[in-house]
Amino acid sequence: MGVVTKIISLSFIALGTLIVITYGGAQDPVISFIGMFAGLMLWSIGLALMGAGRTTQVKPPPPTITEIRCDNPDCDFKEIRDFEPGDYILRPMEAHCPKCQGSLTIYGIYVVLEQEEKSTI
Amino acid sequence: MQFGNASEISWIINLAFFAFILIFSLYGAKIQMWQWLKQIEAGLIELKRMAIESRQRAIDTFKEYGRSEEEVATELDRWLDYFLIYPVDLDPAGILQRLDHLLDERRDRYREFVTQLAPEAGPELAQNLENTLEVAQVLSLVFRIVRHYYLLGKKTGSQILIMQIHMQMPELLRIARAYFEAIDAFADGKPIGDGVGPLVVTRFAREYGATPDQYVHDVSREVGYYRVEFEGRTVFAVRATGPGGTVGKPGVAVKRLVEENKGAISRIITVDAALKLEGEELGRISEGTGAAIGDPGPEKHAIEQTATDHDIAIEAIVVKEDEAAAVGVMRKRILDSVPEVINRVKSAIRERTKPGDKVILAGIGNTIGIGL
Repeated sequence: MGVVTKIISLSFIALGTLIVITYGGAQDPVISFIGMFAGLMLWSIGLALMGAGRTTQVKPPPPTITEIRCDNPDCDFKEIRDFEPGDYILRPMEAHCPKCQGSLTIYGIYVVLEQEEKSTI
Repeated sequence: MQFGNASEISWIINLAFFAFILIFSLYGAKIQMWQWLKQIEAGLIELKRMAIESRQRAIDTFKEYGRSEEEVATELDRWLDYFLIYPVDLDPAGILQRLDHLLDERRDRYREFVTQLAPEAGPELAQNLENTLEVAQVLSLVFRIVRHYYLLGKKTGSQILIMQIHMQMPELLRIARAYFEAIDAFADGKPIGDGVGPLVVTRFAREYGATPDQYVHDVSREVGYYRVEFEGRTVFAVRATGPGGTVGKPGVAVKRLVEENKGAISRIITVDAALKLEGEELGRISEGTGAAIGDPGPEKHAIEQTATDHDIAIEAIVVKEDEAAAVGVMRKRILDSVPEVINRVKSAIRERTKPGDKVILAGIGNTIGIGL
């Protein structure tokens, strides 16, 4: 949405609010009706302008994680680090397990989203 | 008579009321069209941004492998318009063979283009570059199609065109965003959610002693298998060759394995990612009957026809994902579902085959970032 559209829509809303406040509560029921009607009309025009062309904010993607595990089934060594180019799942690593000196393999490469979608129904 | 007289004011109110009715009955649709057009425009701006940024990402990736940025940009723009004409369906006889042939030709052209544009890329990197190119192409196509309908609607003032594109815009944006977020995965060679099938098959094969050296390459185009023994049964664990990004031709591989083992295959099990329904949990596992494979037709047909011709039982195990998870970097939940899928594969083999039987376990999906 452009700056001009934003200013115009906010002006409509502000003017509508002003009219509702000034005339909406008038003693004379006719003036009050016209004030409310005109004010709400301006409000709806301003909101319609604001809604048109609205874009949603896109969040940056979460970092990709590489999980390395020891191949020895009795060893629970696990290393988690950021993804590096050349990593792939089941890639044997050159380094050895610091716990048991066994071989290491990339177990998984993945992202963890802050909030995974969960249905309430 | 003074202004403010009740009858005068009521006359003004009546006039305003009728003017309001008249304006909205005559121009209501036009006001609404204007609002829809503005919303489509906002979506188009986002689609354009994604198309431009994905093109630039593709250029940045390709230029690393032997050609200048200008050369890559010129060639890539020519390639973004590349199309496939689907075979005529007025005479459906043999349509799958014709489609298969066209898809093979298309793959060859892609391979040729990538080799020309990135001469220093190895075969696995070339596969990833092919995938990167496809994503840039999809985003460019979506943007151009939506822009076409937007401009056409505006030009003709057709409410139905504008309304249709306005209604479809949220879904189009959702799919485009999924592909846009996936381009980094393809360019960097990260595993994607669709690769869960090959991952399951490889983990299963490794559990029973298979090594990358034992993988039998190219039983069909870019697809091979491990032969493993599982509780007295012989399992042919079929998957596309990785860690480059390819899905290969698993249907043809299954057909050849069945023909090579005349009458000995008793069951075909396919493992793949499947689209989840809204509200379903990501990574949920489901089982069913049939071939779980989402190709345009020829590969699925090959599996179904082979199973029917040789009277082989066929079953599917799928991991539920949405589009964004299927084409984006693999989510933790999908990775966590792998051990459970392997357990279900084992149960299926134990319960529905006998010792001595031969079984085909086919992991369907893109093998990007998944080693042998």
